[in-house]
Amino acid sequence: MSSGNSNGKSSAAGVIGYFDSPDAILSGMKKVKAANFKNFDAFTPFPVHGLEHAQGLKRSFLPWVTFFGGLTGLTIGMGFQYWTSAVDWPINVGGKPFFSWPAFVPVAYEVTVLLAGLSTVAAMLLVNGLPNLKKRTFSVSLTVDKFAIIIEADRGAQNGKYRPYSENDAIEVLKLAGASGVKAVTDSGWFEN
Amino acid sequence: MAHGETGKIKNPGPFVFHASVKSTLLVLMIVGVATFGGGLMADSKRAWASLVQNHFFFMSLALGGLFIAALNYITSAMWSAPIKRIYESFTSYLPFALLTFLAVAVGIHHIYEWSHPEFVKGDLVLEGKASYLSIGFFVIRNVVALCIWIFFAMKMLKNSVAQDANGDHRLTLKNKAMAPVFLIVFAITYTMASYDQMMSLDPHWFSTIFGVYCFSGLFYSTLALTAVMAIYLRRNGVLQGIVNDNHLHDLGKFMYAFSVFWAYIGFSQFMLIWYANMPEETGYFLHRLHGGWALMTYLLPLKFLVPFFLLLQRDSKRSESRLLGVGLFMLAAHWFDLMWVVQPEFFKEGPQFGWIEIGTTIGFIGLFGTCVVRFMGKHNIVAIGDPRLPEAVFHHHQ
Repeated sequence: MSSGNSNGKSSAAGVIGYFDSPDAILSGMKKVKAANFKNFDAFTPFPVHGLEHAQGLKRSFLPWVTFFGGLTGLTIGMGFQYWTSAVDWPINVGGKPFFSWPAFVPVAYEVTVLLAGLSTVAAMLLVNGLPNLKKRTFSVSLTVDKFAIIIEADRGAQNGKYRPYSENDAIEVLKLAGASGVKAVTDSGWFEN
Repeated sequence: MAHGETGKIKNPGPFVFHASVKSTLLVLMIVGVATFGGGLMADSKRAWASLVQNHFFFMSLALGGLFIAALNYITSAMWSAPIKRIYESFTSYLPFALLTFLAVAVGIHHIYEWSHPEFVKGDLVLEGKASYLSIGFFVIRNVVALCIWIFFAMKMLKNSVAQDANGDHRLTLKNKAMAPVFLIVFAITYTMASYDQMMSLDPHWFSTIFGVYCFSGLFYSTLALTAVMAIYLRRNGVLQGIVNDNHLHDLGKFMYAFSVFWAYIGFSQFMLIWYANMPEETGYFLHRLHGGWALMTYLLPLKFLVPFFLLLQRDSKRSESRLLGVGLFMLAAHWFDLMWVVQPEFFKEGPQFGWIEIGTTIGFIGLFGTCVVRFMGKHNIVAIGDPRLPEAVFHHHQ
């Protein structure tokens, strides 16, 4: 989850700290979480089990999107076939009833799966703010063998719930969390190494 | 449970069931034999129908244990290591499945119409099938299939149990090499057993998907029994710290998936026959959709709908009591599904469910249970030497 950064000038967008192993980023993430910044996120070349717990991410609501997407698909799939075959233009097929539901099941099933899948992907892109054209430079090593935590600058008004962001403070926290390299990153590109 | 956390896993050792469990199972066995004997005298048709149904049900459970073991070897599955010994224990029943098959063979004239030459004579379809559906060939090929399964079970179980003592990872590789061979042989032989023992109850009818239909029930019921046994053992405190909610979650996902699979296969079989509407195929569903069998046919989708909706949510797959309830339901549902396959060929008027069916089933439960109880009392309840166990115990995804 990234905060919007639309002012375009090359101000510091946050601080990034690199880690060398899944274990290092896991224990580091716990410390960053405890520091209570508003916006922080992790980058790993592969899924690190338990990282989402360390980061304090809640369960996604996407399964509900899948469920209702599937339900919509089932209704459309069955309903449309019913309407075409039994209401709008009834055709006698092999002496079977106009509403021969067993014949409609395969199509209804496929539409169920299709809408469940598409709605899930669409909702996922939407909540993640993807596709993202602004922040595009990526350190190659983060897709190979490096792990990183970014603490993002807090642009909104401060409220008392979170630790106020300052660059030096964030660098200090990341160092204490065990990051092997820490540096400030700017808007124009997060990870130009 | 931090990532990478390991440590010595305490070996719970064999699980010795309480003496009352053992004696109860023994009583069930005696009740079963007595009921079957009484049933033969009171209403032999019902006794034989119940025998062949329960024979196939429990044989599939035992074989299903071996199938899941082979499946997890071939995929190098990590998650299943803590529950491996549970489904392996089911295979200890396989030699008794050979015995119950011999009992079926003894009653062949009461069970299979095609075994009467005077019934076959003059029937073009049955005369065409006569070389395959002949008593000698039928008995030999099914005994051979059972012997092959027993052979693979003994081989793979021997490696698995030997690993408890020495932790030699090469034993895993040996079983991994044997698994694909077994799975190919299993696909062929179990299809054959399904055709022979179940489909030929109606010798005129045929359905090429029938073997897959029986297989979907085998997987469905064995997964359910694995979950039920895992939860039983957990509640008895032996799997503490070894089988956690993540493993139940994985089992729940499997049960969910193969409920859908059963529905998919069952509906595929029905829809193609219903759609084509060819006289040589429709008989099977005609007398199941009308008259005394109609109600049960319309209730059959519950075998899919109940697990589907009860296990849909993530939390319900991780809830011990929910999973136990659904597991027991699935075992019962599969039993009734087999009853729906078997009984209409004996009783056109409708389902027969009384003391003969209940008593015979109870006897099979006693026999199967005794095998599992003896196995678990003899061998470690957890495959303690499995090289995948430590990672699986600290199983952490999601």
